[in-house]
Amino acid sequence: MAKNLRGDLQVASANRLVDGMVVFLDAAAQWTDRLDRADVARDEKAAERLLERARAESATVVDPFLVAVTEDGAGRIEPLSLREKIRAAGLTFAAIAAESVRYA
Amino acid sequence: MPLFREGSATPVVNDGPVPMPLAEWFKDRSSTAVALANTDDVTSLQPRLAGLALITLHFPKFSDGRAYSQARILRERLGYRGELRATGGVLQDQLPFLLRCGFDSFESDQKGFGEALLKARTLFSVVYQPTEDGRPTVSQLRLQHRSVTLSAAQ
Amino acid sequence: MPDAHFYRYDDYDRRLVAERVEQFRDQVRRRLAGELTEDQFKPLRLTNGLYLQLHAYMLRIAIPYGTLSSRQLRKLAEISRTYDRGYGHFTTRQNLQLNWIKLEQAPDAIAALAEVDMHSIQTSGNCVRNTTADHFAGAAADEIEDPRVWCEIVRQWSTLHPEFSFLPRKFKIAITGSPNDRAAVRVHDIGLRFWRNGEGEAGFEVIVGGGLGRTPMIGKTLREFLPKDELLAYLEATLRVYNRHGRRDNLFKARIKILVHEIGAEKMREEVEAEYESMKDSALKLAPETIEAIARQFAPPPLQSKRTRVPEVEALKLEDRNFALWLKSNVAPHRAPGHAIVTASLKPAGAPPGDASAAQMEGVADIADAYSFSEIRVSHEQNLVLPHVAIEDLPAVYRALGRLGFAEANIGKITDIIACPGLDYCALANARSIPVAQRISNHFAALARQHDIGDLKIKISGCINACGHHHVGHIGILGVDKNGAELYQISLGGDVDFGHTALGTILGPAVPAERVVEAVDTLVATYLEVRTDGERFVDTYRRIGIQPFKDRVYATV
Ligand code: HEM
Ligand code: SF4
Repeated sequence: MAKNLRGDLQVASANRLVDGMVVFLDAAAQWTDRLDRADVARDEKAAERLLERARAESATVVDPFLVAVTEDGAGRIEPLSLREKIRAAGLTFAAIAAESVRYA
Repeated sequence: MPLFREGSATPVVNDGPVPMPLAEWFKDRSSTAVALANTDDVTSLQPRLAGLALITLHFPKFSDGRAYSQARILRERLGYRGELRATGGVLQDQLPFLLRCGFDSFESDQKGFGEALLKARTLFSVVYQPTEDGRPTVSQLRLQHRSVTLSAAQ
Repeated sequence: MPDAHFYRYDDYDRRLVAERVEQFRDQVRRRLAGELTEDQFKPLRLTNGLYLQLHAYMLRIAIPYGTLSSRQLRKLAEISRTYDRGYGHFTTRQNLQLNWIKLEQAPDAIAALAEVDMHSIQTSGNCVRNTTADHFAGAAADEIEDPRVWCEIVRQWSTLHPEFSFLPRKFKIAITGSPNDRAAVRVHDIGLRFWRNGEGEAGFEVIVGGGLGRTPMIGKTLREFLPKDELLAYLEATLRVYNRHGRRDNLFKARIKILVHEIGAEKMREEVEAEYESMKDSALKLAPETIEAIARQFAPPPLQSKRTRVPEVEALKLEDRNFALWLKSNVAPHRAPGHAIVTASLKPAGAPPGDASAAQMEGVADIADAYSFSEIRVSHEQNLVLPHVAIEDLPAVYRALGRLGFAEANIGKITDIIACPGLDYCALANARSIPVAQRISNHFAALARQHDIGDLKIKISGCINACGHHHVGHIGILGVDKNGAELYQISLGGDVDFGHTALGTILGPAVPAERVVEAVDTLVATYLEVRTDGERFVDTYRRIGIQPFKDRVYATV
C-alpha cells in the first residue's frame, strides 16, 4: 500500500485497469489523468467520504487510495511524498527515445 | 459450497460420507471419509488407505499450494484410488494443476466453474511433467516420435 | 530460426505457449468484464510476467539462459515499439522489462513473443522463475559443460508445473558450467555448479538456500555430486520439501533460505534425500536420448579457424587509445582460437543502466548477424554479449557498437553499474536508483581514470528487496526512506565471485542523495592512496578493513 504522509489535504488516486495509467477522482466521480482536476478532501471526514466514493467507482481502476497533497497560493496541488510526486509527474530522468541510438 | 465432479457442468449433490478431521478419525475411524489440513502428514494414513472412500485436502486460500504436494504423495506414492476433493473454494484457473495432481472433486462458488471444469483437461494439450494422470509427457512423446521415425527409416 | 545455435521450440513447445497465450487472453477478458476481482486476477497476471508498477503495467519477458538470436532481439524491439514506448530494461536475471504495457494489449504482446519462441511465463509469482546461466556459456574457455542444455531441461520441467505453481515464495535457479562462476550460484534458491569428479564424470554440486533480499544468505551445499540424469528428480524432491515445509505465515520468511536456515542444512539434506529416494527411478530420470537431443541443439556454431594475431587490430590499438582500453575490459577469451567474446556496454556515461532503445536493439541484432553467428547474450550485469566474434572483426565490431553508444570501455569498471528500476518505476521502492547511477557514471566518465581505478563493482537497489544486488557489490548502495527524504546506505566488500562470495559490510549512517557521489569519490580516493601493486578495490578493502574508508567518508560527508 502507498506510503502516506500526514497532511490535511487529500486526493483519491488509483491506476486505470485497462492501461495502468495513474488517475485521480474528480468532483463528478470520474477518473481523470489530470491531478489539477482531482477533487480535494479538506478534512478527515471529507477524506473518508472521498475514499468511499473512489471505492464505489473502482470497477475501472485498481486499488484506489488517498494521496496527501499540498496546495499553493494559486490553488495548484502537489503530492507531498516523492513517490506520489513521481506517480503524478512521471520519471525524474529522460528515458531513451525509441529511434534514438544514443542516450543524451 | 457447491460441489463439482468432472463430467458435469452443474454442481452435484453432496450425499457421500461426512469427512472427519484427521485426529478425530484416528480415534474412532467410523467414517470412510477424512478431512486433512494442509499441514497434516498424509503418509500417516498409509496403513488405512484401503478403507477410505473420500479424502478432502484443504486450500485455505488459493495461493497456498501445500495440498498439491499432499495430493501427489497420496496418489503416486501411496496409491490412493478413492475420491480426492479440493475444499476451501478453488478457482477455475487452478483446475489444470488440480487435475494433474489427482483431484477429482472440487468445492467452488466461482461463477462459470462448472463450464471451466469441462474444458480444463484440454486447456493444455501438452504437458512436461510426469504425474499420476498418466498423460504422456513431451519428452516421452519426443522419444516415441523418434523411435517411430527411426523404424520408418529402416 | 535456421541460424540459431541453441534450442528451438518444436511443435510441442509451441503449442503449449500458444495455449498459454489463449488462456491469458481469456483471463484478461474476464478481468476487464468484471468477472475476476483484482485479488483473483493478480496472481494470474503475475505468472504471466505482468506487474502493475507506479505508472503502468510492466511486462517481464524471460530470456532463457540469457541467449537470444538476432531475430528474437528484433522482435523484442518491435514489441517495445508497438506495445510500449520503444525501449526496454535488461535485468540482472536475464529478463527484459517493458515498462509501459497496457493490460488490454498484453495478450497481443505475449502472442508476438510466441512468434519467436519466447514467453513471459513464470517471470513473476511464487513459482519457479526463469533459470539463469553463465552468459559466456558455450563460448567460455574455462567451461566444463554448456549449462544452457540443463537450463532448457529445467525450463521445460518447471513450465506450468502442477505441484509447484503456488509455492510459499518465488524460486530462482541458476546454473554455471565453469569453475569461475558467472551466474552467482551461491545466491540463488538453488544453484547448480558443474564439476568433474575423480572418475572424470561431470555432475552438479547442488547448492540450496542462498539469496539476497531482506535476509541475504549464502547457499549451502546439499549434494556434493549429483549425476546429471538425476537432476529433475532431485529438483522435484527439493521443491516438494520446500512446498510442504516452507513458511507461509510471513512473506519475508517464506524463501527456501529461511527454511534451510531454521531447520539446518543437515536436516534439509535428510528431508530432501528421503523424498528423492522415492523419485529417483521414476519417469523423472532423464533418458540419454532426451539429454542428447537437447544438447545437439546447442552445438557450437561452425567457427572457422581464424588469425590470432591481426595487424589491423594491433595498429588500431596504437592509434586509438579507447580501442586499446576496450580490448582490455570488454573483450574476453573465447575457447576457439582466433575468436573472442565481446561485451556491449549498456552503460554509456550517464545512461540508465541496462536500458536499450528499439533502434539500439536492432543495431545490436545487425552486428550479431554480421559478426557473431546471429547470437546475443544478456549478462546478469545488465549488458549484452556477442559471444562468437573473430579477432579480425574486432575493429569493425568496435566501430559498429560505437555508433550505438555501446562501445564504452567500462566492463567491470566503476561505471558498469547495476541498478534496479527504483522509485522512478517500482511500487515497492524507497528511493531512486537510476538517477544515482547516472550521477556516479557522469562523475567517473573519463575512461583512462576508470581503467586506473580498475575493477570495481557498484550495485544499487532502491529498497531492501535487493534487485540491484547491492549486498554483493564491491560498493553496494541501498536506498532508504527517512521521513520522506531519500538516503543511501553504503556497504563495502560484497562479492559474487566463486570462492569469494561475501556480503558487504555497512559503512555507517546512510548519506543524503546529493552526497552519494562525493562519498563514492572519497572511497575511491582512499583506495588509490593505499593500494599496492595489482590490488583491486575489494582486495584493498579485505586487507585494510572498513575503518580507513569509514573515517574518510564521514570526515568529509
Ligand atoms: C520493477 C519491478 C520489480 C519488483 C516489484 C521486484 C520485486 C522484488 C522483490 C519483492 C524481491 C524480494 C524477494 C524476496 O526477498 O523474497 C526481489 C528480489 C530480487 N529481484 Fe526484483 N523486483 C523488480 C525488478 C527487478 C529487476 C529490474 C531486477 C533485475 C535487475 C530484479 C532482480 C531481482 C533479484 C536479483 C532479486 C534478489 C535475489 C533474490 O531473489 O534473493 N528485480 N524483487
Ligand atoms: S530493489 Fe526494491 S526498488 Fe529496486 S526494483 Fe527491487 S523492489 Fe523495486
